[in-house]
Amino acid sequence: MNSVHLAWMLGRPSSTRSSSQILTVSAYAMVSAMLLIVLGGAYSFTSFEREAQATYLPLAGFAVVLLAVPLMVLGSAAARLSARTQDRALSSLRLLGATGGQIRSVSLLQAAGTALAGALAGVVLYLASSPLVAMIRFQGAPLGDAIYLPWWAVAIAVVVIVLLAVISSLAGLRKLIITPLAVATRQSVPVPSWIRVLVTLGSVALLYFVFTNIGVVSQEFGTIIAVIILGFGFGLLVLNLAGPWLVATVGRSKLKKAVKPEQLLAARMILENPGESWRQVSGVAMASFVAVVGGSGAALMSMGNGQESTGTWFDYLPQDILTGVLLTLVITFVCVAASASISQSASTLDRADLYDGLHKLGMGYEVMNAARTKSLMIPALTASIGFANASVVLVLPLAGVAVLIKPLTVLVVILAVVLGLVLIRAAISVANPRRLLAERV
Amino acid sequence: MLENSLGRPAVISARGLYRNFGSTAALDNVNLDIQLGQSLAIMGPSGSGKSTLLHALAGIDLPDSGQITLNLPGSAPVQIESLKDKPRTKLRREAFGFVFQSGLLIPELTAIENVAMALMINAVPRSNAMDRAARALAQLGLAGMEERRIGQLSGGQQQRVAIARAQVTGASVVFADEPTGALDSATGAEVLETLLDCTVGAGKSLVMVTHDRTVAERCDRIVHLSDGRLLDGTARQERQAGAWS
Repeated sequence: MNSVHLAWMLGRPSSTRSSSQILTVSAYAMVSAMLLIVLGGAYSFTSFEREAQATYLPLAGFAVVLLAVPLMVLGSAAARLSARTQDRALSSLRLLGATGGQIRSVSLLQAAGTALAGALAGVVLYLASSPLVAMIRFQGAPLGDAIYLPWWAVAIAVVVIVLLAVISSLAGLRKLIITPLAVATRQSVPVPSWIRVLVTLGSVALLYFVFTNIGVVSQEFGTIIAVIILGFGFGLLVLNLAGPWLVATVGRSKLKKAVKPEQLLAARMILENPGESWRQVSGVAMASFVAVVGGSGAALMSMGNGQESTGTWFDYLPQDILTGVLLTLVITFVCVAASASISQSASTLDRADLYDGLHKLGMGYEVMNAARTKSLMIPALTASIGFANASVVLVLPLAGVAVLIKPLTVLVVILAVVLGLVLIRAAISVANPRRLLAERV
Repeated sequence: MLENSLGRPAVISARGLYRNFGSTAALDNVNLDIQLGQSLAIMGPSGSGKSTLLHALAGIDLPDSGQITLNLPGSAPVQIESLKDKPRTKLRREAFGFVFQSGLLIPELTAIENVAMALMINAVPRSNAMDRAARALAQLGLAGMEERRIGQLSGGQQQRVAIARAQVTGASVVFADEPTGALDSATGAEVLETLLDCTVGAGKSLVMVTHDRTVAERCDRIVHLSDGRLLDGTARQERQAGAWS
């Protein structure tokens, strides 16, 4: 039996695996649809007049940088779920004597197949939602057909998603190849190093310095925009570095104070893998970041409202920036909600035996659910507050205090944080063990 | 309190239990009394209904028909089969202890936290729960291992933690489903000894499902199931008399 046949036998649609299979394919579909919509939106700006393009394209690039993290989080949640659904079958194959190479080929074929099915469904979703997206107004007119990407760009996006799925699957496979039992044998809780915090603080200070002196670096508009985009991209990366440490610190504090069973369990669930806890909520952190950056950008632009019309593309810029900020936030939130639902569902399905067993012992599903909810909401709150503060530091030299405390900025930030937390809470409800496990039986 | 033919009080009485899965009868008119302070082994081939019976007696699963009466000393009798899911869950955590083959310990928690969790769920304050859990672990020879995570314990040690969790609440009845099934014979014997000490040795009842004849032989009474039907049981005295004759 060759690897292709084996991959099909293990991965073909089946009623016993339907929940996780539908979830995985839907996750990839969501990733590809979102990616195509974002790229389509950015691509539509190429239809503007050349002078407008010089401003709109860098701003679209900025939005893409900000959206990269939520999209990557969603993509990696999909890939991890895909790998998890096959873990047991692949472990059994390994025990039956399959070689590491055979396991690798089967797993990669399955990951690629699932991602391809999802990505193609995503293309359909993108095409179906495009008429709605085309109605969004920029430069005083709907985007229209400019939103449709050329076919080769769509093909490249599909290939990229499949490749990312394969890479994620390869990374997840290392454990399986090493031990046929594929059992987590970690002996101690990993503690994120404080060095991460030092690196993050140093980097934020450096960015603050660069942004404060941006006029010294260059007077050219394009260069300034490029520095800001790269600076924020770099800022997002280093803030992500400190995230797990921040979550672990809050988790340790909660562990000390825990008095109820769900509090104790939640704190331990956070500390079990602070990196994973962080990943599940990092989308909310990004949303807070985008809200501060976008909110102050929109407030900055609104200050220009009421000026005399120039009769050029420039007249639409303030309104378009606000539209762009809102779109970026909406897409971020869709990604956050989807990735949190996927991660939580995967985690619930993963722990199905334990949940069932603990219920037999007399631990109500409500205790487990409360623990799960807290284990996600605590990092989510930490992420929102932490990132909102950090982004204020970065935006301060660019926009100034006057802009940061403007009602529009504050309103966008508060709305974004609250909406982010509400979405995470809703995602947890989707993955309620009682319902999910009842469906599984 | 109900009394059986030997005149000892029955802590659990099952009458006319039926349970079907599709066309398969997992329990077929099962009648059984479990006495306070008694250890009972349920044996039978795979698929004979052993675990179904244990689940029914413990209120984990409901029979299609029949009565299961719980008669705890100092409490009014409880008809387990008539309880809804929530009160049954409450009953399980307050009145019963469980030791399963897989241990069912929470991997994120330390040994002491796993034991204390059983008390905390019953609203015992954390500090008190931790003290009692530490004592329970020490009694089972796990002093010094309180802060170890489950992955840092051997199979035998994990089962001892599960036993500590099952008896720390003072449960009158402990249900065990193949508690030594995943252990080597020497470790299995030690764990069984500990389980019997903590339960029957302390005046509690032990209901144990096992495939292993030598494990069953350590119990006061053995009952056999076949195709959901309970065959005649044998008491330890009868078995010993049989061996001597």
